[in-house]
This record gives sequence, structure tokens and C-alpha cells, in this order.
Amino acid sequence: MLSVKNLHATVEGKEILRGINLEVKAGEVHAIMGPNGSGKSTLASVLAGNEKFTVTEGSVEFLGHDLLSMSIEDRARLGLFLGFQYPVEIPGVTMANFMKLAVNEQRKYRGEEPLSAAEFLRLMKEKSAVVELSSKLTARAVNEGFSGGEKKKNEIFQMAMLDPKLAILDETDSGLDIDALRIVATGVTKLHTAENATVVITHYQRLLDYIVPDVVHVLYKGRIIYTGDKTLALKLEKEGYDWLINQYDK
Amino acid sequence: MERILEIIGELRKAGPELLRVEAPVPQTYAAVDPDHLRVELTRGAAAGLVVVHTKAGVVRLDVELGEGAQFDLTEIFLGETFAEVALKQEGRSCCRVTTVELSSANASYRIDLNGAGAENTLNGVFLATEKDHCVVRLHTAHNVPDCTSASCVKGVADDEAVGEFSGLVYVARDAQRTDARQQSRNVLLSERAHIETMPQLEIYADDVKCSHGATVGQMDSDAILYMRQRGLSEAQARALQIEGFVGDIVRRCGVEPLGEALMSLAAEKLER
Amino acid sequence: MHAMAENEKEILETIGEQEYKYGFTSAIETETIGKGLSEEVVRLISAKKGEPEWMTQRRVAAYRHWLTLEPPTWAHLKIPEIDFQDIIYYAAPKARKMLGSMDEVDPELKRTFDKLGIPLEEQMALSGVAVDAVMDSVSVKTTFKETLAEKGIIFCSISEALRDHPDLVKKYLGSVVPYTDNFYAALNAAVFSDGSFCYIPKGVRCPMELSTYFRINAAGTGQFERTLIVADEGAYVSYLEGCTAPQRDENQLHAAVVEIVVERDAEVKYSTVQNWYPGDKEGRGGVYNFVTKRGLCRENARLSWTQVETGSAITWKYPSCILAGDNSVGEFYSVAMTNNYQQADTGTKMIHIGRNTRSRIVSKGISAGQSENSYRGLVRVARGAENARNYSQCDSLLIGDRCGAHTFPVIDSRNPTAVVEHEATTSKISDDQLFYCNQRGLSTEDAVGLIVNGYAREVLAKLPMEFAVEAQKLLALQLEGTVG
Repeated sequence: MLSVKNLHATVEGKEILRGINLEVKAGEVHAIMGPNGSGKSTLASVLAGNEKFTVTEGSVEFLGHDLLSMSIEDRARLGLFLGFQYPVEIPGVTMANFMKLAVNEQRKYRGEEPLSAAEFLRLMKEKSAVVELSSKLTARAVNEGFSGGEKKKNEIFQMAMLDPKLAILDETDSGLDIDALRIVATGVTKLHTAENATVVITHYQRLLDYIVPDVVHVLYKGRIIYTGDKTLALKLEKEGYDWLINQYDK
Repeated sequence: MERILEIIGELRKAGPELLRVEAPVPQTYAAVDPDHLRVELTRGAAAGLVVVHTKAGVVRLDVELGEGAQFDLTEIFLGETFAEVALKQEGRSCCRVTTVELSSANASYRIDLNGAGAENTLNGVFLATEKDHCVVRLHTAHNVPDCTSASCVKGVADDEAVGEFSGLVYVARDAQRTDARQQSRNVLLSERAHIETMPQLEIYADDVKCSHGATVGQMDSDAILYMRQRGLSEAQARALQIEGFVGDIVRRCGVEPLGEALMSLAAEKLER
Repeated sequence: MHAMAENEKEILETIGEQEYKYGFTSAIETETIGKGLSEEVVRLISAKKGEPEWMTQRRVAAYRHWLTLEPPTWAHLKIPEIDFQDIIYYAAPKARKMLGSMDEVDPELKRTFDKLGIPLEEQMALSGVAVDAVMDSVSVKTTFKETLAEKGIIFCSISEALRDHPDLVKKYLGSVVPYTDNFYAALNAAVFSDGSFCYIPKGVRCPMELSTYFRINAAGTGQFERTLIVADEGAYVSYLEGCTAPQRDENQLHAAVVEIVVERDAEVKYSTVQNWYPGDKEGRGGVYNFVTKRGLCRENARLSWTQVETGSAITWKYPSCILAGDNSVGEFYSVAMTNNYQQADTGTKMIHIGRNTRSRIVSKGISAGQSENSYRGLVRVARGAENARNYSQCDSLLIGDRCGAHTFPVIDSRNPTAVVEHEATTSKISDDQLFYCNQRGLSTEDAVGLIVNGYAREVLAKLPMEFAVEAQKLLALQLEGTVG
């Protein structure tokens, strides 16, 4: 589904990604872990197409498309979803209005008819149940006045609405209390099928108690320095990153 | 007033026409009733200046701050002075102005931020009683990108006094990443007093943070009631409240004993 | 960062590519009198309209006063010098026979309305809106008159009102905006050609939204509309004014006056969507819109102005409330969008005279292209206005770095029990917001439209439903065709 080869990227002339290789197949859950500043969020941003970053080398193939040549919105319409670490507030724009546009743009891209108002409302209702998002929140402006937990739930709600092929969740667990974490993680698990894939970027093991990864990668200084199975996350939780980093820095 | 002049008397004299500072170690100067004073701080220099105005007449102050210079200006108005102050700031220079009007006065500040990273903070208070007419005018021009300005002027008008504030924040074309804030807070104490406030924004660049706010209102009457219940007279309670309202600005002025001396002068004025 | 900034810049620049959609003229025969203004012309206008002598006298008095005035220059506007002798002060569609039904309306006129998307029949049938369609300067067709008449509501052209209800007109016309008020009000008082008159009797709630569509049609014809709305004690009316104008190369002056009298316990909502021709991308042509709008509120009365200003080359307009009666309430909700070389200087005046008077101001300015957009406001609290309250919020949104956004409020308070608050902020559409929307599959053009409509939502929500839809379309229209 996703094939990243030797990806290098810079921001303001500084190289952050220094040769990432990553293969994600349908039905898989990947976790990307790593210490602060290792480039985890940058990887997510570059895949989504954030123009703050410049790709200097490498290629990314997604569902048979050359991802790097596509606009941000076309990547999204094709089925790439980024759950933001810091979802932005858009004053005055209601969630309903926003999602309706997003869903119908995706449908247009696929050559499908737009949803009728009734169909759309049904979908909103159905999907907001996935993350136990109160219908009051969907009536409010996008992320405006949302608590940290509500913003994250709202990201997963949007993921449910857009039904992506590949979801990249950037530090979705940060700033969540245990309850919210459970709700968010359960939501993600519910949405997971054999046809889609999820990449979870996280700092801590605790999210992985709920979302069990098939593969765990450790990112450090812009490279994936180690790949293992779910036990790697537990080991990292117990022993930290130092044993890996020391090995690498030598 | 004597107390204030006494405090001032202990400071180094500036002027009468020119104060030029090159030293990076700050020292505070003073001037009483200058006619036209030029102040120049060279690159990296630091200084403080207290100017006391006690006479009617027109006064002019020109201040030029070189790169990275730091300047702390306190102006005290005790007579019916008409003061025009022009401040020109180069890159990364930092200027803090405190202006206190305890009599009729007209203070006009024209601030030009001409170098990236320049910062200007202006805090002002006017206390207009009886037939006072207090005016504070402010024109802050962000001529280049990446400058910061913040101003807060608090006004009180009692009896038949008139208080006027007019403040313009001007952001030139391409002065991106400007951060400019302006506040005008006013309290009317009498049915015959009058406050007029005109905060203005004139903006020609889009990547900016600019805001202003203005209020004209009254003191919280619940607080007065509360203090009276604890045995204070209404006048005392009111004086305390006003002290609280303007105190933070007055006490923050450049020279320490000066703040307290000004506060007691303000309290005297309010009791009259 | 740079890539995003470039991209955004490109998009924002192409916002200006949007050509004026409603740029067409209709070929209705027009009767005009020659260019220029003199006492004779003023008398001629009055005579052509068959006005009573007192009206002629008022016009002449206004004209003589106008001669002593200079055009105002205090606004943040660059106004080319206007040759007032180069304007045609009267144009009327040639009188045909009186119309009894919709079928008799000029087919050409009907087609014009169809192009504007406001077919009269549909409006009659679907929304229950009575439409007093003003074509150029004379009312052509008034509908729903019978329904209104049952309630005793008068809704007609000023000319008809002068003929049928001279006492009401004589009592109220010029009572809120006297001809001495300002240069353009004086000009209007001298030469106004027509407009609408509306009277809601005591205790009557007008059962439908009253709506007038204005259009400038004949080339070189100045428009001097006069609107007078009187809501008698305890009455209620919601009044809609909207306009679209055909594309013209030469400048057109529009100096309307709107007067509203809100008697004790009455309420008036006045909503405007203004879309006069704004000139082309280079700033050639476009309407000069110099409007005086003011309402007077008696005890417990309420007046609410809502405006969406997207058109005109130059807008000079300050819908105001004189809160004379105790407990009266004034509101002003405004969205003003300028693009290309448009200039707008608009805002409001809230004059608190009565006790416990309240006012609220919400202004949302949007500047794009090379345009200049200013909010100008006055909140005055008079000595006797015990416990008066005002809250103002004025926001500016800048789209691109070649435009200007300005805020000039004045607060003048003379009562110690009054509380007046004003806040203003400035913002732009952030790269983060655009990225977020793009990541959800929205094009940048849609994202900009969405964000702008969200920004203006508080004001748009104050418009009657059908108008809100039109207003949203207008905002989107100015942002359409933008993605490169």
C-alpha cells in the first residue's frame, strides 16, 4: 500500500529525514516510536504533503500513485489521513459543514455522487458513536474551544467519516487521560480492517496496550534504526531507548 | 511635589539641550522643565531618564536609540505642559515609557520603530479632576518587520474634567510579523466629567498580530459596598479602588521611590 | 514554508480574477432629463413627479443648502473628484399603463430579474416576500399590496406615498436625516427620484419580510433613492434591501438616504446585501456608494442593522441608531468585503440618549487584493443616558499583503454609570488552517471560502434565511475561480 524509499527531507535547510525506508501493507498496524526530535512528526507531515518541508531525495508510492507529486488534498482524497498532533481551530466553521465538504470532495474524486443531507446526517450520527463524540461537539466550530481530549476524539471521528486507506496518527495519545485514551484507541481499533492500514506515531507504549501493532519501528536522527514486533515496544517502555541509541551512535 | 523634586534632585542632571549616552551600564538621569531636549543613545547604550514638567508651555523631546540600546523614560506632568515626544528606535532597541499626568496636560508620543526587533512599551495614566483637561496621544509606527509594541493608557475623569486618548498603531506595507497591542481603559467618576477615546489601527501587512481594546466605565460598586461594610468611608473605598486601578502603572515607573511619591500625590489630588 | 506562502499568494492573487457575474444591461426604454443640476432641475424633478408644493419647497431648500457644502474628506478613502454637473439626475422607465397583475410586467424587466436569480413569481409563491422592484428610479411593480393592506400596512413607492399619504410623509420625511445632515444627504433631499415608503400601524406585526431590489440601469444615471420606514407603537417589520448592478465603464454615483422611525415598543430589522458593480480588476469604473442610513428609537424600541457589503468601488456608509427613548436597543452587524481596488469606509454610530439604552456592534472586515477596508464607529453616551451599555467587536481579516485593514472607533462618554467596551483584532488565514483543510481533502479555494464564511458567520446568522444564502454566495463569488 505504502512504499517509502530513501526519503530525505529538510526544513529551512536543516535535514530532518535522512533516508527513511518503510513498507506498509493493507491490514497492518505499524507503530513508529522514538525519542523527541527524531523526526516522527516530520515523517507524518511529509507524507501528508505539508509544504513547510522540502523533500530532497527518495520516493513514496501510495496505492500505485507517486505520492510526492500529488497535492495535499488529492493525497487526502485518495485515502491518506493524518491525525494531527495539534489540530488547528477554524472559527465559525461548523464541523457538519466542514465534514460535508470533505466527504463530498472525496466522493467527487472517486466519481461518486455527493451525499444527500439526510444520508450525510445519518453518517455523522453513526460515526460520532465510534468515538463517543457528543453531537453537541459536531454542531460546534471545528476544534474551537475543544479540550485536548475532544480535539483528539474529533480527529478519530473525522477519520471514521473519511474512511481512509491509510491513517497516520501523530501522537494521538498525547494529552489524553486514561478514559479518553481508551475511547480514542478503541475507535481506531474498530475502524481497522483487512483493507486499510494504520501508522501510529507515539512516544509511549501505553497506546499500544489498546492498539496492538504488527510492526514497531524506532526512528532516531531521521532514520529507522530498528524494526521489531510488538514486544519491542514493551522492551522500550522498560529499558528506554538508550541501548538502541548507544548501539547506533557507535 | 517637593518630595518628587527631592527624589529627582538626587539623580544626574540631563541636558539642558543634549543627553548623549554611550555607556552600556544603565544610569538614570533627570530633567526638570526642559524646553527642547535631545536624547541619543548609541549602539548598545543603556540609560534611564525622568522628566518632570511643572510649567505651562510647549516642550519638545527627541529621542534616538541606536541598535540594541535600552532606554527607560518616565514623564511626570504636574503643570499645564504641552509635550511633544518623538522616539526613533533602531533594530533590537528597547524602550519603556511611563507617562503620568496629574494635572491638565497634553502629551503626544510619536514612536517610529525603524529596525527589526525593536520593542516599545508605553504605559500611561491620567488623573483628571476639577476642570482638568488631560490628553494622551500616541502614534506608533511599525515601519519595518518584526517589531513589537504594547501600550496601555488608563484614564480617570472626575468633577468637570475631560480626558482624551487617541492612539494609532500604523503598520507599514511589508512590516510583517508585527506584534502590536493597545489598550485604553477609562473610568468616569462624575456626571459632569467626559471621556473620549480613539484607539485606531491602520494596517497594510497581513502577517501581523494587532489588537486594541477600549473601555469607558465605572468602578465596581459591589467592591465599594464590600469595603464600606468593613468600615471604610465611601471616599476611602473609592480612593483605594482608583489607587488599585492606576497603581500598577505608576509604581512600575523607572525610579523606585518615585512611584510611591506619585501615588501619594495622586491620593492627595483625589481627596481634594 | 515558502512553498506554502507562494502557493497561497498565487491563490490570493487569482481571487481578483473573478469577473462580475451580473454584468449585463437590460434594454428598457428610459426617459431622462439632461445632465447637470440647478434649481430648475430640482423643480423639474418635483414637477415631473407631480409633487405637492411643500415638497418642492423642501427640495429647493435642500438644494440651496447643498450649494453651501463641500464633500466630506475625513474618510479613509481616495475619491476622484466628482463633477456634479456631469450627472443625469432623473431617469424613469417610460410610463406604460398601470399594471394590474404580474403578467403585465415588461417581459424585458422580467428577464432581467431572472438573470439576477430573483424571479418575482417564485418569490411571491415560495417565500411570501413582497417585492417592490425599483428599476432605476421609479417603482415599476409592487406586489402583495392587498395582503398588506388588510393589516393596514402601507408599502409603496415614495411617489405614491406623497400622493396617497401626504400627511405621513410630511410628518416623517427628513425627521431622522434632515437635509442639513451632510453633503450627500442634502443632495439626496434635493434630487431624490424615488424609493420606498413603509408604514406599519400601531401594534401590527408585518407578516412577511418586505423586500426591495434596487438596480442602477440607465447609463450615467445617478441614483438617489429615498427610503422611509415608520414602525408605529408596538409594530414589527423586517425589511430587506439588496442590489446587483449591471457592469458599466463609467463611475456611477449612488447617494441614498434611509430613514427609520421606530416608535415606542416597536422593532425594525433592516438587512442589506450590497453588490453594486465594484469596478474591474484594475479599479476602473464601479459604483460610488455614499449612503446615509439612520434610525430613531423611542422608548423600548429596537433597531437592528445587518449589512453584507461586497460591491461598489467606494463605500461610505454608517447605518446609525439614535437611542432616544429609555430602554431602547440598537444593533449593527456588518460584513464588508473588499477586493482588487475597492475602498470601503463603513461602520456605525450609536448615540445613547435615553436611560438603560443598549447597543451592540459586530463588524467583520475582509480585505483582499489592493483594497482598503476601514471600520469607523462612534459610540456616544450623553449625560442623561444612565446605565447605557455598548459592546463593540471589530475584526479584520487580511487576504494577501497588498491590502489595508483599518479600525477607527471613537468612544465619547459623559455618563459615569455607562459602560462602553470596544475590542478589535486582526488576523489572516493561516497556513496551518489551509493545511488542515487540504489534508481533509478540501481544495485551497474551498478552504478559503469556508474559512471566510466561518469568520463572518456571526453576522450572516443575523440575516433572514433566504438572504443569508444569497450573502454566502456573494462572499464565495468574490473568492471563486481562485485556484491556480
